[in-house]
Amino acid sequence: MSCEETIQEIPLYCYGEVTAEAEENVEAHLAGCEKCRLELARYRVFLQALDARPQIAEAGLLAGCRAQLRVELARDTDGRAHRSPFRAWAETLREFSRMHIPFRVPVGAMALLALGFFGARFTPEQFGGLGASVAGPMFSTVRSIESDATGNVQIAVDEVRRHMVSGKPRDPRVQELLLSAAREESNPGLRVESIGMLQNNSDSQAVRSALLDAVTKDPNAGVRLKALEGLKSFAGEETVRRTLASTLLHDEDPRVRMQAIDLLTAHRDDALVGVLQNAVQKEDNDYVRARCRRLLAEMKASLGTF
Amino acid sequence: MPFAVGTISARVAAAPDESDLIRAAQAGDQDAFERLVRAYDQSVLRIAMNLLRSPDEARDVYQEAFLKVFRNLHSFRFDCSFHTWLYRIVTNICLDHLRRRKVRKEESTVVETVDGPMDRIGQVPERSPHSDPERCLWNTRLAGKINGALEALTPRERTVFELRHYEGLRLRAIGDMLGTTEEAAKNCLFRATQKMRMNLEAFV
Repeated sequence: MSCEETIQEIPLYCYGEVTAEAEENVEAHLAGCEKCRLELARYRVFLQALDARPQIAEAGLLAGCRAQLRVELARDTDGRAHRSPFRAWAETLREFSRMHIPFRVPVGAMALLALGFFGARFTPEQFGGLGASVAGPMFSTVRSIESDATGNVQIAVDEVRRHMVSGKPRDPRVQELLLSAAREESNPGLRVESIGMLQNNSDSQAVRSALLDAVTKDPNAGVRLKALEGLKSFAGEETVRRTLASTLLHDEDPRVRMQAIDLLTAHRDDALVGVLQNAVQKEDNDYVRARCRRLLAEMKASLGTF
Repeated sequence: MPFAVGTISARVAAAPDESDLIRAAQAGDQDAFERLVRAYDQSVLRIAMNLLRSPDEARDVYQEAFLKVFRNLHSFRFDCSFHTWLYRIVTNICLDHLRRRKVRKEESTVVETVDGPMDRIGQVPERSPHSDPERCLWNTRLAGKINGALEALTPRERTVFELRHYEGLRLRAIGDMLGTTEEAAKNCLFRATQKMRMNLEAFV
């Protein structure tokens, strides 16, 4: 084996991905070639250096993903349950479409009539204007049982039903439900999801307040990051900037602080000098510290307070 | 290769009753499905995160991959290992994201700062209080350079490199996941390492 051939094999040899025969040949050559041994040593240093790339913290992210997946799976299962009658209907329709045309016309007209008749009776009245469906009772509790003189039994039952509400995120009823989901303490996945939906409507005052609340109070970093995204276009507003400055100084998650400094730097604001100086002193994240220092340099301000 | 151990241990832990779990999940057992997810989801998220360097995109890949598994589990016929089947789904979704990103020419996660190139995403504190600050700075710069060099690879080269170097998977398995031969995966890894070395020449 020549030096050139050996050097070509070194990358895959280091990963243990050459054939047994090629491995023997490489080793035989290396035993008698100082230059190729040096190249191998250099290559190993290179591979070792690649491990300098830091691992990415994912603990919070994983928990958020799991919670969100549970929500998605529940929705998917519900969707399937609701879809099945439709599928059956669609299949019948497909069968019907195979029939001869003259027979299809009167049957089609009858079907349209029936659709109008039953559609009017089964359209839910709740959530005026929005598409909604009511499933059977999910949970029920018997509150009292009484019998009357005729031998009938009267049972008082409390029922909790699941309603499917659909509509545009801007619809007031949908927005109200999303705002309520954004405060759902026990389910971070739901909070991420709802904040994600709300962030596109952050021009509404109620939504903006919910986003600001989530940035400062939500215990889940994924939710705080989503809320920050929603505030992007309002990073110039004073209330938002105050929240961003406080996040930069106090949030425990470096990814959130990185997002905060990115949003703060999008608008030059000399009132930020004190906050940035504080951040430079206490920040342990290289990226955030570097951005703060750069910003201070651009403002011609010193790095520390005296 | 710091991640290989975690991947292998997850697989070994999941191995003894995995086919029972899969059959139960195919029959509609939600609990079995959740246990399958738990056996693999950490490595799925790590691969997505390392390949895409974006928590948002990694989250999307996680959701899309497991929803695909949920919807298509009935068609899994044990022709290959569940692990290979799942990773095939994950790597394909990641490849789509990387390709879309190339088309959009999205902003890089690596940014130039006064301290040199830095990766926005990788900046999670990993320093011990006694570590040498100069060494830390050097490592930060090197990490930024490595991520810059990875971004210069084609989506396929990058995927093969990540799976081989950082996940410790064998090229034969990587070939299976990407629907190609071991030989093609080998060529891809070779090209990727050559490019990486060229781009990092000044540093290592």
